[in-house]
Amino acid sequence: MMQDQQDNQTIDMMLNMGPQHPSTHGVFRMELRIDGEKIIDVKPHIGYLHRGSEKLSEGEQYHQIITLFDRMDYLANFNNELVYCMAVERLLDMEPSKRTEYIRVILCELNRIASHLLYVGTIGLDAGAMTPALFSFIGRDRIQTLFESISGARMMHNYFKIGGLKQEVPDDFVRMVKDIMPVIRRDIDQTEKLLTFNEIFLSRTKDIGVITAEQAIDYGLTGPCLRGSGINYDVRKSEPYSVYQDFDFDVPVGLDGDCWDRHWVRVKEMHESLRIIEQAIDKLPDGDVASPLGRRLIRPSEGEVYVKAENPRGEIGVYLVSDGTDKPYRLKVRPPSFCNLSAIQLLLQNSWVADSVVILGSLDIVLGEVDR
Amino acid sequence: MIASTGPYFQDAISTLISLLTLFSFLAVTVLSLVWLERKALGRLQLRLGPTRTGPFGLLQPIADAVKLVLKEDIVPNEAEKVIFWVAPIIVVISAFMLWVTIPLTPSIVVQNLENMGLFYVGAVGVIGILGLVLAGWGSANKYGVIGGLRAAAQLISYEIPLIMVFVSIAIVTQTFNLVEIVNLQSPVPFILVLPLGFVLFFVSGLAEVGRTPFDIYFAESEIVGGPFVEYSGAHWAVFFLSEYINTFAIATLTVLLFLGGWSGPFLPSIVWLLIKIYAVILLIFWIRGTLPRLRIDQLMAFAWKVMVPLSFYLVVCCSIYVFYGLPWWALTVMSIFGLGVVGVIIYQYITAPARKVAEVRERLRLLQMSQEE
Amino acid sequence: MLSTVKGMIQTLSSTWRGLRKPVTKLYPENPTVLQNRFMGFPGLTWDKDIDEPFCTGCMVCIRNCPTQCMTATMKDNPKFADESSKRRKIVDEFEINLNRCILCGICVDVCNFDAIVMTHEHEESGSYRDGSRMKLDGLLEIGGKYQTQSGWKPAPKD
Ligand code: SF4
Ligand code: SF4
Repeated sequence: MMQDQQDNQTIDMMLNMGPQHPSTHGVFRMELRIDGEKIIDVKPHIGYLHRGSEKLSEGEQYHQIITLFDRMDYLANFNNELVYCMAVERLLDMEPSKRTEYIRVILCELNRIASHLLYVGTIGLDAGAMTPALFSFIGRDRIQTLFESISGARMMHNYFKIGGLKQEVPDDFVRMVKDIMPVIRRDIDQTEKLLTFNEIFLSRTKDIGVITAEQAIDYGLTGPCLRGSGINYDVRKSEPYSVYQDFDFDVPVGLDGDCWDRHWVRVKEMHESLRIIEQAIDKLPDGDVASPLGRRLIRPSEGEVYVKAENPRGEIGVYLVSDGTDKPYRLKVRPPSFCNLSAIQLLLQNSWVADSVVILGSLDIVLGEVDR
Repeated sequence: MIASTGPYFQDAISTLISLLTLFSFLAVTVLSLVWLERKALGRLQLRLGPTRTGPFGLLQPIADAVKLVLKEDIVPNEAEKVIFWVAPIIVVISAFMLWVTIPLTPSIVVQNLENMGLFYVGAVGVIGILGLVLAGWGSANKYGVIGGLRAAAQLISYEIPLIMVFVSIAIVTQTFNLVEIVNLQSPVPFILVLPLGFVLFFVSGLAEVGRTPFDIYFAESEIVGGPFVEYSGAHWAVFFLSEYINTFAIATLTVLLFLGGWSGPFLPSIVWLLIKIYAVILLIFWIRGTLPRLRIDQLMAFAWKVMVPLSFYLVVCCSIYVFYGLPWWALTVMSIFGLGVVGVIIYQYITAPARKVAEVRERLRLLQMSQEE
Repeated sequence: MLSTVKGMIQTLSSTWRGLRKPVTKLYPENPTVLQNRFMGFPGLTWDKDIDEPFCTGCMVCIRNCPTQCMTATMKDNPKFADESSKRRKIVDEFEINLNRCILCGICVDVCNFDAIVMTHEHEESGSYRDGSRMKLDGLLEIGGKYQTQSGWKPAPKD
């Protein structure tokens, strides 16, 4: 009898998912302990993309660090540039012109749409549908072409400068943005029709990877992952930065905190972003966008500052300490992806192997930002 | 000597020739399918598909084949060498054996097994599973093992409804002879008589060849190719080949059993058959371009809770039909009734999350309204 | 079921669109149109009036480059001696390691002489590692190409 029982015992299998795996969204490695197809435990391993951005920043001048921020969350470059520029501006105690702020907001919201479009594509791929990815890239490509005509680069823009913009936007900027909006709306709808309410997709994502509101707060989730659990917290609303208080927009909130709710929140956010852009482009004031600092070396007085902003992935915070020289004494980033990823152990427990990629996809991490 | 064994020898020669013809026919078909899949999926996704190799990229599959054959064939150190080598052979042999008895017209067939054509198809089709499991196990890769076991579970589960459909067709037609079955469909194709059978056959056929939404045993985004994960070069090409041959076989069987086979006006019968087969195949590609993938537990639940009971229901219906000698539309009614009932069940089952979503949205709306007040 | 059917119709209509007007463009025949402001590799400009480069080798860009990918040396300008040029010093050697350059455009922002531009050049590839170290003549060549292509003018001095 004893012998029988021992024979029937199963042993757990270790399964290394990543760092070279198509669905870990970069070089992320999960050490899964699985029993059959059930995940018992997971050990996430990060650091494969560590480039030491924070330490590098201590050796760079203030205006050079923008290029490093471009490369942290490489899907939301403008948003990252914005939060860093805001931090230095607060250190210098200066305000950029209204026109600068408006253009920054327009570009950031466009970037949010581009980032969420990529997310919709990748969650489709994770769930096994290949077409949404290709459809969403059409919309993303349009936005990036617009970015290219404004900043000269499709991804690493280096366009926001401390106190202003690198150069005035092209003359037909307003027309271009107005033209692109209905097209983008159609692209979003097209992708969404394929995925959001598809029964198979629903059965793959609804009630999968549930995180309750309390747990989400405990783990420090932000952005769509937190709002998917039903908490109405958006830095743009709760502590408006830049000129976000001028706009009328809603914060979509989910209820159950599962993968589908996180997906739905992101899809709705794209529409809200379009609303913000519409208002901003109507109100776009005239003025100068050049930085009042010109080419002067930036030397903030001694002090420290913490600035936060809402990225597509959540709340990004920048803690900047200046010792009065032309280089920061310390720069610390609170990356939203990293904090969201911390919940992976909780989310993956007792889920299926197949769900692990969907759950990871629904957190929408960018490894460049997790590892910095 | 030769003269004395004359008829036997001639038989062997002619069989050999027809086998070789079959082999080359299937090879050409696979090439065309590879091209068609890439091109169709490309256009579906607003891409171009292959364009560089020849006009419209027609030579792309040949380029693929050359590349695969020339590639280094890597055998992992830890792998069970024998099993690793044998697995693809088992898979491809079962895929080819299936074709021995499938008629393309009454005359174009290697060997029409008069009394057991359908039976043979059902029996031989199962052998391939063994190859997949062995491939997963032999490559000493955890993804491979998971994939192989998934393949076993999935294919065996969906084998049952498939064979039950065969049985119900055999009951209705009173024969196992495929040519006979096609001929019996000349006024009314069986898709009208057995709509339920068609749906069951098509769905379990998709599962049987591992096409989206049932491509679970080699799900690229989860287990990166499952049983095939360690294979490369010519070995992988063999798996690839058998996968496409199986797809083609399922499409052909769908046409033979339900869509009236080669019958059709004006055009020669082989042309009609090919048109119908390619239409079914395009449908398969279209589904692949649209749907996400199910999860393994959902897939199994779908097989055992929906497909298997339905296929038994179908057999019972067919028996009643034959026993009482009812007119053919009675079977249609029963079939559609089953489809309707199960349609409701599936709708309830699969759309449970969807209905929940609707509920959630309702609650959200209420929430917003209360906030506004 | 319903939205699955909707999805199928969606892909059917997209197939129709794909058959008529696919989004993909074939690359070498039909490359993506570069926007005016596209930032490719940096290149040096040529002062056509005096027939010498604008660059004086002042090293401002080199000190501001976030990746330290350039080097330059300056020399006395021979044309300054015969008074055909106002530049006392001129660039002697200039090298950019295009492998390290991150195309950020900071060098263009900081240069006081409008001597460096972000060209539209982006298809440089070589078969050995050092091939991407571009020397002065190469930089002047891609800069000059950009100058003629885009009608680039130095910003008016005030
Ligand atoms: S390019 Fe401009 S900044 Fe750089 S060395 Fe030449 S003149 Fe100086
Ligand atoms: S573009 Fe940036 S990285 Fe490249 S040479 Fe200029 S300053 Fe350096």
